[in-house]
Amino acid sequence: MRRAYFPALLLAAYAGVPLVLGGNSYVMSLIDAALVIGGIALAWALLGNLGGMVSFGHSAFVGVGGYVSALLTAKAGLPVPAGLLLGGVGAVLAAVVMLPVLRLRGPYFALAILAYAHIFRILATEWTTVTGGAAGVSGVPPLPVIAGIDFGGKTGAYFVILTIVCVFAWIYARVSASHYGLALRAMHDSEDATQVLGVNSTLLKAAMLLLSAFMTGVIGAFNAHYIGFLEPDYAFAGLWVTLPIVAAIFGGYRTIAGPLLGAVVVYLLDQLVFKTLISSGHQLILGALLVAMIVFSPRGLLPLLTRGRKPDAGT
Amino acid sequence: MSDLILQALYSGVLAGGAYALIALGLALVFGTMRVINLAHGELVLLAAYIGYTVESRLGWSPVAAIPLAIVIVCAAAACVYGVVSRIRVDREINSLIATFGIGVILTNGILLVWSADVRSTSSAWLQEAVVMGPLYGMRGELVFFGVSLALMGALWWWLAKSWYGRAVRAVASNRDAAQLMGIPPGRTELVSFLVAGVLAACAGVALYSVGVIQPALGGALTVKAFIITVLAGVGSIPGVLLGAVLLGVAEALTVTLASSALQELAGMGLFLLVLFVLPNGLFGAVRRRG
Amino acid sequence: MLELDNVTVRFGGLTAVDNVTLRAGSGDVLGLVGANGAGKTTLFNAISGLVRPTAGSIRFGGTSVVRAPMFRRARLGIGRTFQIPQPLHGLTVRENLVVAQRFGTGKVDERRIAEVLEFTGLADKTGRDAATGLALTELKALEVAKALATDPQLLLLDEVLAGLETTAKRRFMGMLQDLHARFGVGIVIIEHDIETIATLCRRVAVLNFGRLIADGTPDAVFRDPEVMRSYVGNGVGGGHG
Repeated sequence: MRRAYFPALLLAAYAGVPLVLGGNSYVMSLIDAALVIGGIALAWALLGNLGGMVSFGHSAFVGVGGYVSALLTAKAGLPVPAGLLLGGVGAVLAAVVMLPVLRLRGPYFALAILAYAHIFRILATEWTTVTGGAAGVSGVPPLPVIAGIDFGGKTGAYFVILTIVCVFAWIYARVSASHYGLALRAMHDSEDATQVLGVNSTLLKAAMLLLSAFMTGVIGAFNAHYIGFLEPDYAFAGLWVTLPIVAAIFGGYRTIAGPLLGAVVVYLLDQLVFKTLISSGHQLILGALLVAMIVFSPRGLLPLLTRGRKPDAGT
Repeated sequence: MSDLILQALYSGVLAGGAYALIALGLALVFGTMRVINLAHGELVLLAAYIGYTVESRLGWSPVAAIPLAIVIVCAAAACVYGVVSRIRVDREINSLIATFGIGVILTNGILLVWSADVRSTSSAWLQEAVVMGPLYGMRGELVFFGVSLALMGALWWWLAKSWYGRAVRAVASNRDAAQLMGIPPGRTELVSFLVAGVLAACAGVALYSVGVIQPALGGALTVKAFIITVLAGVGSIPGVLLGAVLLGVAEALTVTLASSALQELAGMGLFLLVLFVLPNGLFGAVRRRG
Repeated sequence: MLELDNVTVRFGGLTAVDNVTLRAGSGDVLGLVGANGAGKTTLFNAISGLVRPTAGSIRFGGTSVVRAPMFRRARLGIGRTFQIPQPLHGLTVRENLVVAQRFGTGKVDERRIAEVLEFTGLADKTGRDAATGLALTELKALEVAKALATDPQLLLLDEVLAGLETTAKRRFMGMLQDLHARFGVGIVIIEHDIETIATLCRRVAVLNFGRLIADGTPDAVFRDPEVMRSYVGNGVGGGHG
């Protein structure tokens, strides 16, 4: 994505979209949700690209982030912005529990994360005293009104999630361009080769896991306040795993913008097209789309369309 | 109290049989193709639902569903093989994502066809209690434990004596060398998928016959199979059986001593324990990186 | 500086390194020879941290490093090349050195990078993709450059010359001869060719089936009857592995 486009894009996003679409509550809610998915897809892609780890358990971070924020604000009375941050912290703690699995090879790691996601969901359902059990948490406070702007409304919340996603994308870019980014990329092929040069590869991988978890947790927390209630089956739903992965792969997971663009397209497709085709099993089409993409175009579909067929350049 | 524990051990061992079948299927495919089929649990679940359909539509015992389940699940497994074999770039990662997608397709397909209701067998014969001393078991549990042992024996024989079985072992051990010796890798991989399908089909019908099933179970089954391979490695059949029994017993003990809702946590606890205490698995099979 | 005491490395039933006691300092140019499978690379792996010895102690600069992870040993000053070059994938030659500098020494010294590039003959190849854009000679040069860029006090060179053809080998020999003088770094070098070792090294250690059977000047070592027996007995004479 060329740097020159940034100012124009940001202007369009911050000013254009609300001006043009702000009146339509339904469209704004679609965009808000798409950005939520986009943010998670971004965090997922970060873990994959920089950390070299494919995760099937990001729903754990979404759920933990959501629950921590919801409970701290609804039950303990903390202000919502603090809740968002602490939701991220909660997800980081969940990731810390996952650290021992870093030493496992690719497929084993993916499955281990999947197992963790299952466990967190069960904990949320059974730990009734803390989480409210299967009934969940209701009355989650919305985002506050600040300086006259209602951030709890569809358009107000749009600014919040847009900013969150932009900040995260910026962080992703900075890390990727840094020396750490170099070392992380080199680690994919041979950790030994990097360790022999003084790279603490375990620490770097752990840092990526925690970073990805934090980002996802914050977004999960945002979502909890946006929706207003939370229950285990929703907070830890498989859709939080599937949609971001489909979005990231669709948009091209090797880039930073790819997952975001992919999320917008895939989510809108899912809500507007797939759901009308098969309402209760629409995930089936998502699954089929995922399989088709991996088999025919693992680098994503959007990159194909915008740049035409390019020969694979190395990594 | 000790009676309860003894009973839990007994039930756990019986459950271990079906679990072992599931884990073996996963391990077989991983051995030949170095690919973890994340949809494996869903294949097992598919067989379970076929057992349900046979019972509810035709009124037969689910055991009679096994041949049909084998045919359908093997066809599905062949489709999974078809997808996985077409992946050329970054095979390990991309096949994970692809089989994950297939799992999503299967889970939602099952949801569409059979709805989210929980099902279990209504066969009185299978559910009848068989008493051995102080221990109670459902006849279904005993029957399918026997079936599992027989299948494992057959699998062992097949791997040791039959041409394709030995081909599978050869490919698992060294694909290129096997190819040089004239073993067709593609067909051998397909065979491993089909055999995994057979194991999955029997495990699925067993699951339906002794427990309850619902569409969301697929992922949990894959996770269990994975936990067993972490416990026991993918190397030996007795090892996998031992790991499976361990998991079954841990779950039964959790249900007896704690609560049935925490059943899934038992496996997780074992998994974490092994990870922290025995990072190379119970039998030194999981290789650490770096 | 490097003190190995009774180091043993066992893999299951196989003893790859058997009770080796060895010293190497920053003033040394030490050759490590032995037949294939004598345990040379395993010894390097134990020193650099790739494998943990079953027994024995390894000290570097006075502190025990036996429990230290690989990256810490690199930062302490143990540099190492791999027999089969392992360039950092996806990065250019220059980026390889930047990573080595940044993580091996804590900061990036552009002059040092330029110096290493010029010394190893890679100055005009900085922009090439390390994994796909280099010939074998250049890959081997990069191995040495990477290790040098971490500012090591002791450099372990594992068969740097293997697989090179004559002109390249000669150029590399010249480079290796200058290495100690130019960068003041101690060197332990594994090579199969006895002549190379005799030319480059002031001291030679011989491993046979994991045991250290000789440690002295090239002259003395290569006249040692047990050393000669180990070579004849192991059927050496087939050149490079």
